[in-house]
Amino acid sequence: MNPRKLLFTVAAVVALVATACGGSPTTSTGNETGTLTVWLMNGSAPQSVVDGVNADFKAKHPNVTVNVEIQQWSDVTTKLDTAFAGSAPPDIMELGNTLVAKYAAAGALQDISSKKGSFENSGTWLQSLTDSCTYQKKLYCVPYYAGSRAIIYRTDLFAAAGVQPPTSMDQLMSVGQTLMAKNGSDPNFSALYFPGKYWYAAAPFVWDFGGDIATQSGTKWTGAINSSQSQQGLTELQKLVSNLSRADKTGDEFKQDQAFAQGHIAMIIANGWEVGVITGKTGDPSLLPKLGAFPIPSHNPGQTAPVFLGGSDLGISAKSQHQALAQEWLGLLAGSKFQSQMVTVGGVIPNTTSLVSLSTGLPAIFAAAAKNSRFTPNSPNWANVESANVLQDMLVSIFTGKSSIPAATSAASDKITTILNS
Amino acid sequence: MGVAGDARARVAPRPQAEAGPWRHVWGRRLLPYALIAPAFIVILGVLGYPLGMLLWLSTQHYGLRELFQHQGEFVGLQNFQTFRVDPQFRYVLSVSLIFTVVNVGLSMLFATGIALLLERVSRAVRIFLSAGLVLVWATPSVPAIDLWQWMFDYEFGVVNWLLTHLGAGNYIHHNWFENPIQGFAVITVIVVWGAIPFLALMIYAGLTQVPRELVEAAEIDGARPWQVFARITVPILRPVFLVVISLSTIWDFGVFNQVWVLLNQRPSQDYFLMSVYSFQESFRVSQFGLGSAAAVITIAILVVVTFAYVRQTVRLTEEAV
Repeated sequence: MNPRKLLFTVAAVVALVATACGGSPTTSTGNETGTLTVWLMNGSAPQSVVDGVNADFKAKHPNVTVNVEIQQWSDVTTKLDTAFAGSAPPDIMELGNTLVAKYAAAGALQDISSKKGSFENSGTWLQSLTDSCTYQKKLYCVPYYAGSRAIIYRTDLFAAAGVQPPTSMDQLMSVGQTLMAKNGSDPNFSALYFPGKYWYAAAPFVWDFGGDIATQSGTKWTGAINSSQSQQGLTELQKLVSNLSRADKTGDEFKQDQAFAQGHIAMIIANGWEVGVITGKTGDPSLLPKLGAFPIPSHNPGQTAPVFLGGSDLGISAKSQHQALAQEWLGLLAGSKFQSQMVTVGGVIPNTTSLVSLSTGLPAIFAAAAKNSRFTPNSPNWANVESANVLQDMLVSIFTGKSSIPAATSAASDKITTILNS
Repeated sequence: MGVAGDARARVAPRPQAEAGPWRHVWGRRLLPYALIAPAFIVILGVLGYPLGMLLWLSTQHYGLRELFQHQGEFVGLQNFQTFRVDPQFRYVLSVSLIFTVVNVGLSMLFATGIALLLERVSRAVRIFLSAGLVLVWATPSVPAIDLWQWMFDYEFGVVNWLLTHLGAGNYIHHNWFENPIQGFAVITVIVVWGAIPFLALMIYAGLTQVPRELVEAAEIDGARPWQVFARITVPILRPVFLVVISLSTIWDFGVFNQVWVLLNQRPSQDYFLMSVYSFQESFRVSQFGLGSAAAVITIAILVVVTFAYVRQTVRLTEEAV
């Protein structure tokens, strides 16, 4: 082989290698090619935010194609299971915060502990979301956004009944009863509309009295939904539901916004984004000026009940061929520039405490409610407790009178213990 | 397949070993097998392979981690052992059996009634009725169940409104799914409604084969309509009945959509039939081994039931030959 030829060959090999590991940090020159697949959930990021992230990313990596695909919440776990089982799962995926532990434990997500510092605001990430990303002390995802529940109410109905937003659970009951009496002629009226399977709206009552879903000691979980404090919270909730709600006692919360928009409901426990559904295409836009919100009151007057901090995280799949590119795209969406837009355009709670103050109007009330927040047991098996409808079935049994609170909670608690430790 | 192959081989004239060269003999012997081979391979691929996988999966501990790594852990019959001590599984199995018996019984009752009616009404009415039946049969099951769901809706359902207005009591905000017996009654209505068209048309087709002169002779001898039905029609229709009963047993034991769609894909445990239980274990709780084991039990039960059907089919084939 003559020297010229040798040089040529070496150059070709170098070029090949460079292409093959395109995207590794050392060669991040902007010449990478390939396709980055991103799964985001329906309703999470406004299109303008996704377009913005893609434009910024494209400016640095003009030869990389980014495919953002929108998934539905109802069937996403089955889709994720299938995708992770295959050889080419999406590079980046949005995961509900209660799902992360399941996929992290199964080895589907890339451990990004060593990269944490490279993400903007990682020092001020919301603690609860960071916890949901952490499994066995390793970081498997980046917090994306949070959501928490508060009570959305009709200001006009409150004014007509001469009541103010309540500041204690007792007041919630008395305000509700006044509203029920005032609207007594309407057989469909609910002061507080509460579908029977609405577990995430029931949890605050359990937590407020000091109860919990399950407690962990060492690696062992014990169901705690049957503790006396948990039962006390559920007893209080049952009183509210039986007096103030005409919602389906076996129904779920997915239609509550449409129901609210029908005009026969004074209060619902809802996420901040549900304001948009109530006043959107499938709802009633004219309700917007008549909506207010307040945090779920505690049984201790003047305080608020802890709420479940829902939200989403962004993970990178362990099988992704484009780890560095994925981190970069993800870093943009999770960084200050686009998180600010998520707050102002999307109305969500951002992933960092440093941007929470951008919330105004109704979203600010939901953001404030999130300050007193809790999370579900951080176990890879928690998703199975949700899938098996353990808590939903328990609530239905209690509200329909099929079982007493002690019997229903102790059955549910046993199931939770079994599933979490399996 | 083996059965059809045997029948074919028996019908074929026995090759004469001395009649030609070996090649010729082998050709004659193998030809029937060569002819059924394409169908056999396709059936092996689309039925045999998944069934084999299912059997294999039912002996594995196969969770999410195993799924992602394509590597299960062999546990023998442990998954089946779990069912033996699980009270929920016993509930699921007994509910499924009761549900199947009730649904097959009601479907057959209504279908036979409608078939007898079809035979007696005028041509115009018969065409009208048959068209109605075919339309029901042609409705895709998921949209149909969605419509039923709206009719039985808690808040906006027309059934509650109608019952209240007819003076049957106060059904405002009546929840049909609070009590599983009522809930299963609604599911039964939907399943039977969907099953009637096929069964009725099959039975009607069978009825047209009952010789008129036999019925007339019985009537002349003074047999009452009920006796004609029991002594003449039913015995003649026996093969048809056997086939449709076997088929509806298979369908009703495997009912899934009606429960899953009607209860918003989150049925409470009271509503778990075998198929729902198997799906829940596999795709919701990610215990693919357990889910497969439940499916294997379903198949085993159905094999027993289907045995009657297969035997009847074989007999009919043999008679035809």
